[in-house]
Amino acid sequence: MTMRRTQRTLPLLAAAVILAAACGTERESVTGGGGPSLPCEPSEAAQAAYDRSWREAGKPVGLGELEPDGTEVCLVDTRRFARDADSGRPTVAFAAQGPTNGWALENDEAFKLRAKQRGVDVLYASALADANRQVDNIQQLASQKPDAMVVVPMGPGITGQVRAAADEGIPVVLCAGRLAPGSGAVSTVARSYELQATLSAEWVVKQTGGKGKIAMLSGAAGVPTAEFQKAAAEKVFAEHPGIRIVSKQYTGWSPTKSKTVATNLRARHPDLDAIWSDSGISDLGVVEAYQQAGKPVPPLTGDSSNAFLKAVAGTDTKFMISPFPPEQSAACLDTALDVLKGKPVPNRVNVKGTAFTHKEAEKYARPECSDNLTVPSALPQDLLERLELC
Amino acid sequence: MSAAVDVSPGTGPGAAARGRPALLASLAPVAGIVVVLLLAAVVSPGFYSGANLELVLYQAGFIGVMAIGQTFVLLTGGIDLSMGAVLAVTAVIVAQYTAGADGPLPGAVALAAGAGLLIGAVNAALVVVRRVPPFVATFAVFVLVQGAITAYTKGAPSGNVPAALGDLGAGRLLGAPLPVWIFAGLLALGAVALARTTWGRRLYVAGSNRRAGELAGVRGGWVIAGAYVIAALLAVLAGLINAGYVGQVDAQLASSLNLDPIAAAVIGGVALVGGRGHLGQTLTGVIFLSLVLVWMIQLGAGIGGQLAVEGTAILAAALLQRGRSGAGKGGR
Repeated sequence: MTMRRTQRTLPLLAAAVILAAACGTERESVTGGGGPSLPCEPSEAAQAAYDRSWREAGKPVGLGELEPDGTEVCLVDTRRFARDADSGRPTVAFAAQGPTNGWALENDEAFKLRAKQRGVDVLYASALADANRQVDNIQQLASQKPDAMVVVPMGPGITGQVRAAADEGIPVVLCAGRLAPGSGAVSTVARSYELQATLSAEWVVKQTGGKGKIAMLSGAAGVPTAEFQKAAAEKVFAEHPGIRIVSKQYTGWSPTKSKTVATNLRARHPDLDAIWSDSGISDLGVVEAYQQAGKPVPPLTGDSSNAFLKAVAGTDTKFMISPFPPEQSAACLDTALDVLKGKPVPNRVNVKGTAFTHKEAEKYARPECSDNLTVPSALPQDLLERLELC
Repeated sequence: MSAAVDVSPGTGPGAAARGRPALLASLAPVAGIVVVLLLAAVVSPGFYSGANLELVLYQAGFIGVMAIGQTFVLLTGGIDLSMGAVLAVTAVIVAQYTAGADGPLPGAVALAAGAGLLIGAVNAALVVVRRVPPFVATFAVFVLVQGAITAYTKGAPSGNVPAALGDLGAGRLLGAPLPVWIFAGLLALGAVALARTTWGRRLYVAGSNRRAGELAGVRGGWVIAGAYVIAALLAVLAGLINAGYVGQVDAQLASSLNLDPIAAAVIGGVALVGGRGHLGQTLTGVIFLSLVLVWMIQLGAGIGGQLAVEGTAILAAALLQRGRSGAGKGGR
């Protein structure tokens, strides 16, 4: 009897499990395999905001609507992290890159400025752009029990430590970079590498009319910042069979190395139609190589650097700049504070960065400021002066 | 003094007795150059274009200037890992002091030379007086100077380099880049200093057996100190060349250890253990390395590929040197 009842019950149980699983797809976990399971509700508004950041990105540089990359955006339920209103100033840990270049310096300062504006106590640790050092930093910061943590990831090697911090109940926001699923982060707030690269690749396609010889210059082999962009640009070029990539090189984001690479390129391919590059700093070497030889610089792309804008001022060099704003750290802090209020936050925020071309160069160049300044800068003038960036 | 000549391979009477491994080790870098030239001709015909060969010559000049200093240090049995820091200090001083104007350039060069002198003296004091192993001493100085630069520039070294410095890095003389002429001149001076002066001979003695040299009245400490100071000053010159070449402060280059000069000397055949080698070998190594670096760029190998090839060449050179040392010992 019992046996027969079990036999009848088993299909019902199986059906219940299948139904539960089906219902579960409406509330997915944003953390993948590790870290605390955070429910994430699909949100049309959040998805639309993300997709809009793609569709509208090309308009300032005369490109049509870009097709979004298919990232699924949902709203993370953060009520478990909500603090009491009377629990005093929140403490947010900032596992930063550290001031290793102008961009990182501005990234740090934008975070500290926003923290001051919003009454936040900051626990700060600089990784000096080193992932190993950042692993220790995250551990140290987590041990001080901050209310939330913002991490500028220095590489996939820190994933385990971010997950450990999340496992301790600290809401982590990834900032100006990303990690693979399973990091336990609540949200990733960053300018999409893929969007940057797609924008610049589409501009190259437009400049060349979809056919011609181009070269690709990337930062460092194996570094996600460079490789994600390279892959996204290659995807665009693959859709245009008239585009022939004659050379793919790495510059190490060094103007010296990029000048050496560009000198070589100029010798081998004097009829190059355009150069796709992921960096304004690398572009400095390219411009120097062509100008020194008395040759016109092919149309080129890059991210925003005051040094580059100064170098091409007064020339007829055609270029498109796709910024990676250092001030995105302020948006990261805002997201962390939303989490501490228990507000639902998007699992993925694409920070806005207005692209521009040589036609608007004068509007964005700051000849009175340091080469290191990332333009356009949203930091106040007195702070830029104090940092000796202006 | 004859002891100093004996320990220099290829120049002393001991060389002939070392047999086939020694000959192999001496010829390997030259053979390497021939192989690279042949492979480049087959795989990358554009390698022999004028612009590309100019690039090779520039690389040879830039690396070569530092490799001369590194060779002096290697001959003492030491190593100088602080050269990258001296390059960085030079670039930062020039950019910050001049703010891109030609007028203050002499003052900036003097300041940079002073900084180089100081760094060389600190290296020398640590190695000679405090007997800190050169690897540790010069690496510590590299880190220390990098820290000072980071603190001073807030991690963001930048700035324009005066146009007047452009010729030093990007100028030409008789159709060849100026840096390669500077390298050639310094190489000739250095070779004479090593072979014909008391200082040069004492350098070999200090590197092969400092204790025995001191017992024989050779004050090795000053000789070694001189090598570190010269290396630092040559790194200042290389820093000026690079700043002139690129016209900017290169923050990435400034933060790297820059091991190319060591690689060039070792690939050429200068012994890492001190007392053996000459600038002719350094020249061979510099040519080989410059060819390989430019060829790798042409092949699109990227920095990872370049480092891998460079590492393999150093390893091969070290193994050949080891074989030569073994043959030398066996023959005695």
